[in-house]
Amino acid sequence: MPDQRTDTELLLASRDDPEMFTELYRRHAEDLLRYFARRTLDPETAAELTAETFAEAFASRQTYTDKGVNGVAWIYGIARHRLGRFFRHGRVDASARRRIGIPERELPPEDYERIEDLIDFAPIREALSEALETLSPDQRDAMKLRVIDEMGYPEVASRLGCSEANARQRVSRGLRKVALMLQERGMQLTTEVEA
Amino acid sequence: MNTEIRFLQQLETDLTEAAAREAAVLRSDDSGSGSGFDDDRSRRLPRRERHWGGIAAGLVAFLVLAGSIGFLSQNGSQDASTASAGSPFIAPGDAAGEAPAAQSSPFPGFANDQAQGVRGVTSDGTLTSGGVSYQAAGAGTDQPALNAGPGLPAAQSQGDLSKIVRDGRISIVVSDGDFETSQATVTRIAVSSGGFVLTSTTQGQNTGTFTLRIPAKKFDVAMERLRAIGEVKADAVTGQDVTAEFIDQTARLQILLDRRDLLQSLQNDATTSQEILRLAGLIEQTQLEIERTQGQLRYLKDQVAEATIKVDLREQHAPEEETGPTTDNPSLADAIRLGWEGFLRVISAVIVGLGYLVPIAAIGLAIWGIVTLVRRRRRAAS
Repeated sequence: MPDQRTDTELLLASRDDPEMFTELYRRHAEDLLRYFARRTLDPETAAELTAETFAEAFASRQTYTDKGVNGVAWIYGIARHRLGRFFRHGRVDASARRRIGIPERELPPEDYERIEDLIDFAPIREALSEALETLSPDQRDAMKLRVIDEMGYPEVASRLGCSEANARQRVSRGLRKVALMLQERGMQLTTEVEA
Repeated sequence: MNTEIRFLQQLETDLTEAAAREAAVLRSDDSGSGSGFDDDRSRRLPRRERHWGGIAAGLVAFLVLAGSIGFLSQNGSQDASTASAGSPFIAPGDAAGEAPAAQSSPFPGFANDQAQGVRGVTSDGTLTSGGVSYQAAGAGTDQPALNAGPGLPAAQSQGDLSKIVRDGRISIVVSDGDFETSQATVTRIAVSSGGFVLTSTTQGQNTGTFTLRIPAKKFDVAMERLRAIGEVKADAVTGQDVTAEFIDQTARLQILLDRRDLLQSLQNDATTSQEILRLAGLIEQTQLEIERTQGQLRYLKDQVAEATIKVDLREQHAPEEETGPTTDNPSLADAIRLGWEGFLRVISAVIVGLGYLVPIAAIGLAIWGIVTLVRRRRRAAS
């Protein structure tokens, strides 16, 4: 039977009962991953930011006090902060995960497409085409096949004459660069209302 | 969680394990079986506390840095102007009357004995004070010539009124076996200078302390001759200007004498016995004050006329602690006073250091602020 408590109640309860935090994670993990994926365009980065945000929230939950800020809004506050750091520094650190003893994990190959499915490329496709010109030829070709032509990774790999893993990596790196570049130009990558 | 994304499933497992670990630590804390989880506890410190901890550590580091800079700068300036604070001795020719030098002197309390009116006197007889320079007229006179600086009170600008009480202290090391000869030399110097040995204390036939009273005009010559006895380990000369006190007492004596004369003439003119008795009481009281003032003036004259020299004499391989001047009067009060002085010196060093650091930090902060602002504006503009 699902827990009937609100996010705020769960977060407050997790201060004394750490295992309560897991329920909060179950409720919001995929939404947060989507939030990051649509802003960074890169599955690897989005996954890492998700892990780092929840680790940070878990490590800092003692500082949360119920002052009218909903528990999940507090977590999205951490997410915005982490995203801002990513756009400033171009990388995601693992300090929060290290602090609570969670290992850094590779993104499984099959997750790339699943996370890309969370990204709605339609509104930014035009901007993407322009941004592609600034990438290296390898990354640009992989990105065109995957994002513009919407091919699957096996096909992209066979067209480029490389392994699937290599194709995923090229697309991932390319997307990350594009997201950083678009961010620098002040382009809004998503119009959705944040939670 | 209904997700097909394996990364999220794995992350859920990782978070669950982390929560279980922390729950176990919490349970062990509750049951009081504490130790062994220090790392976990520190991880659970609220972020705000860690934040403040960092600020406190930064602040402490900043103050330590300020203190070090202050100490170095103070030390540097002392090296340049007076005897070094770190130096165990005041070398001949160095100013000895300044407070910092006095603190580092091997003669604790020596300069401090001169509670007021102390001025630095170099061993060549030059006495210095802010804006005023006195040059003792060699061995020829106990009335040093005085070159008054601007703003000096008119009374002090009269050279013949200057009264300076001079004290010297010298620590001499002689060759092994020469103690007795040197002791005799010290006595001879005192007598031939027209003075005498006031006190004499010897220990083990190889160390001793002598207090000499020497006519002020022979003071410098006597000090020179004492320095020639052996190797001078330490040497300090101070001068206490008692001119103002001397003038005050002289004026007071004159007033009292006039008053007594007036009272006596009134008594002579008095007609009633009651009046005569009342005036007699006043005359007696005035007479007592006259005598007290005359006594103080005599004491001052004696002090000015005769200088005191304290001589520490020691054979080269005699145990140093027996004659060590620092053990003269060991007391808790001294320890507390020295501790307090040390504390004040640290505080003053920190304040001096902050004087250096704060403007630099402010400039750095301003530059950082401008750079951040420019970056943000550029980002916003592009």
